[in-house]
Amino acid sequence: MTEISRRQLVRGAGGLAVVGGLAAACGTSSSTGTSPAPGVSAGGPKRGGNFRLGVTGGGSKDIMDGQNIITKPDQARLITAFETLLLFDENYQLTTNGLAESVTQDNPKQYTISLRQGIEFQNGKTMTADDVIYSFQRIGTKAYGLTGYAATATMDIAGMKKLDKYTVRLPLKSPDATVPQTLGSYTFNMVPVGYKAYPSPQIGTGAYKLKSFAPGQQSVHERNPNYWRSGEPYFDTVTITDFSDSTAQVNGLLGGQIDAMTDLPPSQVKVVQGRAGVLISKTGGWLPICMAIDMPPFNDVRVRQAMRLLVDRPGMLEQVSSGYGFIGNDLYAPFDPGYAHALPQRQQDIGQAKSLLKAAGHANLSVDLHTTDGAAGMVETATVFANQASAAGVKINVINDPNFYGNQYLKLAFSVDFWGTRAYLNQVQQGSLPTSPYNETHWPPKSGTGSNFESLYSQALATTDPAKRIQIEQEMQQIEYNIGGYIIPFFGGLIDAYAAKVKGLKPSKGTLNLDSFGHGFRTIWFG
Amino acid sequence: MNRLRVGGVWSFILRRLLLGIVVLILVSVVVFLATQALPGDPARAILGRSATPASLAALRRQLHLDQPAIEQYWTWVTGLLRGNLGNSLAAQEPVTTLLGPRLVNSAVLVAIAAVVSIPLSIAIGSWAAFKREKAFDLVSSNLLLVLAALPEFVVALVLVIFLATTVFHVLPAISTVPPGSQPWNNWTALVLPTLTLVIAVAPYVARIMRASMIEVLESDYVEMARLKGLPERTVLLRHALPNALGPVFQVIALNLAYLAGGIIVVEYVFNYTGVGSAIREATFNHDLPVIQALAMLIAAVYVALNLLADVATILVTPRLRTRL
Repeated sequence: MTEISRRQLVRGAGGLAVVGGLAAACGTSSSTGTSPAPGVSAGGPKRGGNFRLGVTGGGSKDIMDGQNIITKPDQARLITAFETLLLFDENYQLTTNGLAESVTQDNPKQYTISLRQGIEFQNGKTMTADDVIYSFQRIGTKAYGLTGYAATATMDIAGMKKLDKYTVRLPLKSPDATVPQTLGSYTFNMVPVGYKAYPSPQIGTGAYKLKSFAPGQQSVHERNPNYWRSGEPYFDTVTITDFSDSTAQVNGLLGGQIDAMTDLPPSQVKVVQGRAGVLISKTGGWLPICMAIDMPPFNDVRVRQAMRLLVDRPGMLEQVSSGYGFIGNDLYAPFDPGYAHALPQRQQDIGQAKSLLKAAGHANLSVDLHTTDGAAGMVETATVFANQASAAGVKINVINDPNFYGNQYLKLAFSVDFWGTRAYLNQVQQGSLPTSPYNETHWPPKSGTGSNFESLYSQALATTDPAKRIQIEQEMQQIEYNIGGYIIPFFGGLIDAYAAKVKGLKPSKGTLNLDSFGHGFRTIWFG
Repeated sequence: MNRLRVGGVWSFILRRLLLGIVVLILVSVVVFLATQALPGDPARAILGRSATPASLAALRRQLHLDQPAIEQYWTWVTGLLRGNLGNSLAAQEPVTTLLGPRLVNSAVLVAIAAVVSIPLSIAIGSWAAFKREKAFDLVSSNLLLVLAALPEFVVALVLVIFLATTVFHVLPAISTVPPGSQPWNNWTALVLPTLTLVIAVAPYVARIMRASMIEVLESDYVEMARLKGLPERTVLLRHALPNALGPVFQVIALNLAYLAGGIIVVEYVFNYTGVGSAIREATFNHDLPVIQALAMLIAAVYVALNLLADVATILVTPRLRTRL
């Protein structure tokens, strides 16, 4: 199977269809449900075994909900039992290998979802249009606070209509070309009518059924013998254990008590290599240095430009992430087909930065940079940047505030935050509009250059011709590149480790660890 | 005068118990004030990025933050006395349900470590004192000094490298207790954490035992016992050991109390499902009810162990016993 970009995919379908017709583009394998796991060698995968995964970042806050996550172990557990309509592949390209056979954009304000027929939930009930409508309704209920809620803003969920047993019409309140990306995001899962979060029974369409779960400790998942992709999954059971620390994880892996672990610290890569497998995935997570464009001193565009010129990006990547990742250009969504690759790579230029600061009247700038231990590397990014900026005589006081996400969050002039990877327009919706839940930079400008950003966004959402949409996206990125409030020094990666006997793992650009946890623990096996 | 005056000892225990209660009340005030001293609004600090006006209001009600401080303190303390420790904010279940199994797990670990390390260190210390300046004494004293200087996590990691991951693969490197099972169900997993704790505690106890024993062996009454022609065995076990134990009980109590808090490092390294990891996590999550419960628990362990040590010291020391 070759890489299918969203653009090709749309072209293949022609006209208004967005992802319909993909099955044709990549052969019949996906529709028959018999496709072997990617990377299957001549020997082929083997059945059996208990796959033991160690995950850090969890605790008593752990939950099990087919449409919601709080901690990292939640991601691993969610993906054992629940599946999305569309599926991102390991290159972060959208495919129709999920529960839907096709998702077609009939017009800018309407999609039609056709389900793959004959898929059963783990309790034997056939998945139908009713379940899809219930799933959307559940995510769209604000009071539940589910992960996908923000992305349903444009959907007219109350107006959803069952056309037949396997077909659903999704009308929109306003045009939104990013709906397919939303349908592929890993928490936008389909659950049966009446579904509730743990401790209610966890019934999905996924490859494993939940057997036991103790938040903050351990969960056990049993093979779903009725799984719709024939042959998969290969393990009899999957055991997911919470770890408080990566030292114990590494010891457990090397001692043979676990078969795979998430988030191997970069400093441990050399220790583990040769004794176990190390999976390095360039996933595009990012830690922006955020300048609020309406607060002094960053309300002067020259100061923002100077700050962007102070960063030694390769140095930052090396120091913060031990070189695992790739440098950034102050633009997000690097895997989006519309990413502005053509814009010149920004490089450190102390002289230019100094003269910009001088012109702005901030020759001896001293400013507080707020951050917290919210995600690995945030504090380090702030510290390294402060160090690099001192070369230009700029004094940056790093404030590591445990209460960073309190009252003052999103009201700070200068801060370091964290994001996962998204498609461009989805990211704009999350962080770069007046209505975004997490707009650290107070983007876009209210007047002058760039004040048309929001109208460009609406225009892009309403544009069904992908080539034209990408043109608009690039125009938006040009503005952000010139006068935006983000400094994006680099995109990080995920480093995971696994025992030598685990087969089938491949580096992935997806948001989730371990090749999206071995595509939901179904494309990996014990060799 | 050698007879135990029961009334004296009992009134001593009673006095110490009352004193212990006073200490715990003071601790509860400090713990409560620390909660109040959180910068800004505790509810805001706890909820962080996910705070909404509705969830803030709900949490303030749940924590009784809408009441005056005195009233809040009273609600909390009376709840404590009734065994109602409140609900964990992170886990959304009663603190007792959350901590109960973990308490058992940690207590098992500390108990095994105590049962192994106390007799072992008393034996090593006594024997070293008896064989003073001989080979055993020199080797054990220096070795114990080295071990005492090593932090627990270094000891733990060296043990893991040696016995679990790199040199030999004879023991599991991690000791997770699966939910629903008991620590002793998988005893091999207990070996490394226990060994680490034993190595953390034994050197101190053994060294104080040696010093105490040497002092006693040089005393007049031991000299007297020997001159009377008593067998050396009787001299050691009946005359020297009981007198040498007094100061050692204090050190044992201090070390066990230290374990109650210090176990956090060992649980961390071995991913052991106990109180230590609960402390770490509660702090990380700003889970106040859990932090408060654990602070009170550890204080109570300190008070209880000190009381036990004092009573034991008095019982083995005639001079103190008769003075009551």
